Amino acid sequence: MKNSLWKTGRRTQKSPLWPSVTLTVLLAAISPFGAQAADRPKDKAAGPAGLKNAYSFSINKEMANRAAVALAIRGRVTDEKGEGLPGVSVVVKGTNTGAVTDQDGNYALNAPDGSTTLTFSFVGYLTQEVVINNRTTIDVSLAPDARALEEVVVIGYQTVRKRDLTGATSTVSPDQANKVTANSLAESIQGLSPGVTVRSTGVPGQQASIQIRGVASFLNTDPLYVIDGMIADANPTINTDDIESIQILKDASAAAIYGARAANGVIIITTKQGKEGPIKVGFSAKYGVQEMYKRWNLTNSSEFAALQRTQYESAGQTPPASVALGTFNPNINTDWQDQTLQTGSLQDYNVTLSGGTKTGNYLISGSYLVNNGYVIGNSFNRAAFRINSRSQKGRVTFGENMVLTNSNTQSPTSGFNPMYDMATMLPVIPVQDPSYITTTNPGGWGIGTYPNAVTYAFNPVAVRNLSSVKSNYAKLVGNAFAEVKFWDWLTYRFNAGMEVSFDYTQTLRQTGVWQYNAAPYPSSVGDDRSRFLSLLFEHTLNFNKTIGPHNINGVVGISQQHTTRQTTGASRTNLTYAGGQYYGTISSATGTATATGGVPDDYRILGYLGRVNYGYKDRYLITFTGRLDSDSRFGSNYRTGFFPSVAGAWRISQEKFFNVPWVSDLKLNVSYGKLGIVVPTLGSWPYTAYINNNPRAIFGADQTPSVGAYQAQLANPDLRWESRIQQNIGLDASFLNNRVSLEFNVYNSLSRDAILNLTVPGYLGNLRGNPYVNTASIRNRGIEFAATYRNNEHPFKWDVSANFTTIRNRVENVGNQGQSINYIVSGNTRSQVGNPVGQWFLVQTAGIFQTQEEVNSYVNSTGKVIQPYSKPGDIKYVDLNGDGVIDANDRTFVSSPWPKLQAGAQFNGSYKQFSLSVQLVGVFGYTVYNDVRRSLDSYQLTNFRKDVSPWTTQNTATSDPRLGLATDQGIVYNNLAYSDRWLENASYVRFRNVELGYTLPRPFLSRAKINNARVFVSGQNLFTITGYTGLDPDVTGSNIQERGVDAGHWPSPRVFSLGVTGEF
Amino acid sequence: MKKILISSVLAVALVMGGCKDNLDIENPNQVTTETYWKTDADALAGVNATYSTLHRGSISRWMFFYYIIRSDEGWSQSPATDIVNNMDQFIITDYNYGNAYGVWNDNYIGVNRANQVIDNVPNIQMDETLKQRYLGEAKFMRALYYYHLVTLFGNVPLVLRTPVVGDKPASATQAEVWAQIVKDLTEAAAVLPNSYPSTDLGRATRGAAYALLAKAYMQQQKYTEALQPLQWLVEGDGKSVYDLMPNYRDNFLITTENNRESIFEWQFEQNPAETTDDDTETPNQNYGSSLPQFFGPSGIGWSDGEARRWVTREFTEPTTTGARDPRLAASFLYDSTNVKGPDSTLIYGQTFTQRYGRNNQRVWFRKFQNDHWKNEEGYRSPNNYRSIRYADVLLMYAECLNQTGSTAQAYPYVDRVRQRAGLASLSAAKPGLTQAQFLEQLKHERLLELSGEGHRWNDLARWGDLGPQLTGRDPGFANFVKGKHELLPIPQQERDLNPNLAQNPGY
Repeated sequence: MKNSLWKTGRRTQKSPLWPSVTLTVLLAAISPFGAQAADRPKDKAAGPAGLKNAYSFSINKEMANRAAVALAIRGRVTDEKGEGLPGVSVVVKGTNTGAVTDQDGNYALNAPDGSTTLTFSFVGYLTQEVVINNRTTIDVSLAPDARALEEVVVIGYQTVRKRDLTGATSTVSPDQANKVTANSLAESIQGLSPGVTVRSTGVPGQQASIQIRGVASFLNTDPLYVIDGMIADANPTINTDDIESIQILKDASAAAIYGARAANGVIIITTKQGKEGPIKVGFSAKYGVQEMYKRWNLTNSSEFAALQRTQYESAGQTPPASVALGTFNPNINTDWQDQTLQTGSLQDYNVTLSGGTKTGNYLISGSYLVNNGYVIGNSFNRAAFRINSRSQKGRVTFGENMVLTNSNTQSPTSGFNPMYDMATMLPVIPVQDPSYITTTNPGGWGIGTYPNAVTYAFNPVAVRNLSSVKSNYAKLVGNAFAEVKFWDWLTYRFNAGMEVSFDYTQTLRQTGVWQYNAAPYPSSVGDDRSRFLSLLFEHTLNFNKTIGPHNINGVVGISQQHTTRQTTGASRTNLTYAGGQYYGTISSATGTATATGGVPDDYRILGYLGRVNYGYKDRYLITFTGRLDSDSRFGSNYRTGFFPSVAGAWRISQEKFFNVPWVSDLKLNVSYGKLGIVVPTLGSWPYTAYINNNPRAIFGADQTPSVGAYQAQLANPDLRWESRIQQNIGLDASFLNNRVSLEFNVYNSLSRDAILNLTVPGYLGNLRGNPYVNTASIRNRGIEFAATYRNNEHPFKWDVSANFTTIRNRVENVGNQGQSINYIVSGNTRSQVGNPVGQWFLVQTAGIFQTQEEVNSYVNSTGKVIQPYSKPGDIKYVDLNGDGVIDANDRTFVSSPWPKLQAGAQFNGSYKQFSLSVQLVGVFGYTVYNDVRRSLDSYQLTNFRKDVSPWTTQNTATSDPRLGLATDQGIVYNNLAYSDRWLENASYVRFRNVELGYTLPRPFLSRAKINNARVFVSGQNLFTITGYTGLDPDVTGSNIQERGVDAGHWPSPRVFSLGVTGEF
Repeated sequence: MKKILISSVLAVALVMGGCKDNLDIENPNQVTTETYWKTDADALAGVNATYSTLHRGSISRWMFFYYIIRSDEGWSQSPATDIVNNMDQFIITDYNYGNAYGVWNDNYIGVNRANQVIDNVPNIQMDETLKQRYLGEAKFMRALYYYHLVTLFGNVPLVLRTPVVGDKPASATQAEVWAQIVKDLTEAAAVLPNSYPSTDLGRATRGAAYALLAKAYMQQQKYTEALQPLQWLVEGDGKSVYDLMPNYRDNFLITTENNRESIFEWQFEQNPAETTDDDTETPNQNYGSSLPQFFGPSGIGWSDGEARRWVTREFTEPTTTGARDPRLAASFLYDSTNVKGPDSTLIYGQTFTQRYGRNNQRVWFRKFQNDHWKNEEGYRSPNNYRSIRYADVLLMYAECLNQTGSTAQAYPYVDRVRQRAGLASLSAAKPGLTQAQFLEQLKHERLLELSGEGHRWNDLARWGDLGPQLTGRDPGFANFVKGKHELLPIPQQERDLNPNLAQNPGY
């Protein structure tokens, strides 16, 4: 039903002169129509809004009865860009006389006399009144409406005016989002909405990590994406240029209509539609270059050799030939970062054709994006083709939204992260050299050699040349609907959605090795194909009835979704190699062949949904929402969950007693409800114990594999929904004729029955992943604040917005983990009751031992020397439990990977034809575990930081310990992985995007028959202010519990781009 | 009209939406545990899974670092210092050290598989003899895994049933674990066949159960109890099943696998297309051993583990024809594998000199390497690991006889082993040894016969010889603390998850 009302709302924008009083009244409550035509302050000291509404209704009633008139006036209404604005309502003030502008913005009407006033109004623009003053031509330029209150908000199966919202819903402007060069929608909205935490990566074609209002689950923080009514992932295969609006449903009331899948929030994406009028062709083109804005500052081969010589000598050992005086070859000086990194590029082209009539419209768009990443061998491209259409016949409206995309990613083999290797690989190793040629390394790729240049780092250039993984995703996402308006107050809608994807991955491996002493590897090819199909069928009834001061509207419906994935894979070794090239098909290979296949996913979800909104005098609003969801992924006893919510809002500014002229609007809302979380990694049958028949035992004289079978993975038949109880209190306000608007929300949510891959002890002999258990509960509390100031009254128009969020995350319960165990371990983190998820649990460092006496006198209460193996220059640790030994028992909570404050700010300004926009993101008060630095600063088998300052008796004022080899226990202890030596404060402020635009002058364009065109240059991630020593403080982490681990995170690139958009 | 339309649409909507029964979706990929364990084929596959464990990565690779490299016969010069510290030098940097955890986990995976057979197979309607054999095999395998666990980790939890989420057993004492091993092996020996048809070679036999039972008793210094199963092997029915191979080296070649000398042999085969060591991930798994890659000489394999040179110097006694003990060349790759020296010694197709020059003192283990048929190693060695050989059993029997006061009666069994190597009989070379002298001689005999086969650590443990006094042979033992380093620490993660587990002494 969502699209139907949304569409109706759109229609009224184009044609406000709706011929039905009833409908007008109906729409008054659910769409911008009704109130919008006249609900505009006539001056800055407008009276109470309630009166304005009454006025608006009377106007509309009058408008329904047209009258005869005298003075002929014509003119053109344009928007802020000078483009003709169709569908603008032009009314002679105080009469029922009016007209609507045509496609080019032209209008003509007859006014009763030359001294009256014309009122120009259009959704999204400030209403303007112009005294006729006996003119016959009146051209008007409408300014965009500063106030967001009249926005229509899609809330799932329904649209409402933002002012009537009772739940916490954010709207993100696609204009803002699209300024950012992004892989995915999620990445593009970083910093734009409070409470939405986005962390992005520089891997081409990779989805960003997104969390809405903290973490409520240990396994899944992804919000539910609804694209034009189809529940489908908005991953990088979706073209962000097609997006018309983005709504983020944050609290229980807003999201409850999506029930069991909504607790991580819901992002509703609506794509663009054609507008009434002749065909319009829009285009945009963007070219950008991208690079890593920061690299590791590492030693070159001479510096490396000097340091390693010292290292060996201080350990009393002979330096290896690669660095020893006399044998060190200064001609080998490989900068592995130079070898691995490149200047990436990005090209993005879009063409959109659109148009329509009163009863139908269409939009066709084509786009192509290609991104060559900043690491060699990594790229992504996407071609997309969209057709959206609507047609109406009588009471029936049909429509469809459909996108076909074809995406490709390419990268070297998985299981390889160049962020480590390009840093740790030794500069004394050449990229390629005949001396490395062996039967297993025919390419002579430079790798570690014993006993000379020992390292286990991969040669990243060899990896790139010897392996490739190419994936192709051919995908269709779309929906079709039919809707029937039975009465003006009741509409039925049938919506069928489909996502079908044909995925293909080809893995190629040539003969050769890329690592010291690696086993020989035969050349091979792997082909994996998969077919994904998700079908959604929904029947909804929307109703809307106003009786006197009472308005009641809502939706009831049934939703069914069925998702399947089938896979087939094959591989074969020994590629044919002839004429200097490999043949990359399975049939051309000659070695051992294998085949796999299965149905990894097959599940159904059935939901009954309903929402009722009741409003009294536009002042008191209450919403009940509920959804009953059943999911085949749970056992029949636990399959069905009910997810209700209730919300209320009070528009204080509508009250008669509230008479504060400078407050334009003030609304208080409160909500409470329960939502569910689906963990996609559960698979389709997580509650059942299965027999694994993969084991193979070898028997017999001819050594034949025999099938073995047993239950490999522990199962939990009591698996059930995760749920999240959410409370929200919000205040929306706007002041000074809506020039200032504020949103303030306080929320408190408690997730229950959070599913854990419960770490089971090794003595249970479990395999295939830890079993899923509902065991934890997590609370998230926070404050969200957003403010905007707009100034559109002068030629220099500008607005500035800022938002900030605090999230306090706390584990409340982890179930029965055994005696006195109230935490869950993941790597170096513990999620312990009373603390946030994934808090660092580490041994604390206490500086560096300066003297042997200091080592000897560092004793526990019984006089035991705590670090007897240490020497001056070694790291001193805190013996927390006082047992005289430094070990895992001395770990404690040291700091949090959770930011204390996250903020975003945007500035948009325009002066005549110039525009400037700036986006800033700031994240404060959290720590990151710098694992790449751990590798580098261990001094073992790795390159060194150029600015490393190892402790010596002459260099005591340093935090870097002495040089040495790990054959020395003191050195080994310096590199304890579970110490806070690798933690860093990662607070940062980043200039996320700066864009400067210029709208080409009209005379110049008209010769080229172009309506409007704009060119822009933008710079992304121009500056990052941070004390973090890694490449990028905005890390996505290893998993939810290890959100602050920089395990070779690919930094967000710096992007410079140049683009043009326009329309003809 | 409208009402009819609305009602009919609503009716359609309800019908289309209301099909609740289709939420039961069968998994087309896998059989559930409820439908499994019904036929003898199910039972057989269950038993097979217990053996499949033996080629998992940690048990077939890292476990031998603890039995071989950690002992005084081996050491590590790996650039991966975690291996050197944790697996050779008694510097335990991390109680969750991944390779130790892998060994722990793989053995318990084997225990889990055996437990499932022991729990489910009794309820299957099938041939009773076959059923008992399957149960016997599972009990043997469970005992084998606990044998590894008790000798490496000591006081480990005893899990004897199909595990359930939340099981939190307490630590068992070593005596309790040994008792369970003895019980399982005694029951297994009663039902296992003396031998199998050629298609089933590699399965546990009665002889294997007796041999392992004897080892279990001996590690507890229960030499009298060990005598009985050994007698079955040496003097009883086993005598007609087993014998020494005439050629010592036949015990280490891929061409002479599952020979008469082999009492229990881990079966490996090469799967060139494998993608993983995890035998539950895909049937396309590695059922070879990666140990030869890790023990492979520099330039061939990782060389993460190698032999101590002092061992090569123990082969001083010439054969009766005056030649060098042939077991030296069969056991080690070093500059004198060929008695003529580095220029004549072939290391995987090249002379030692070509590869390392003449003055390289490194020694690599040779026994389960593949240099006898190819010039490279890899992760997929098909060469079977002879876990218990008849020569070992003969020496065990001799040791038990000696320990129980029958030193004179012990001579002939040592003689058989020595004579196969071409040495003079001990009765001729060193007659009339005292009990203590004979034990010292046995230690020497076992070293020469069984070096690099994974028995050294347990031999030293049984003899009480683990200690810093070994530092001369193996400097790593300088770090050895008696009463502590005989055992590995119980992985910290297990103790985090189950506070009922005690840490081993000294950790």
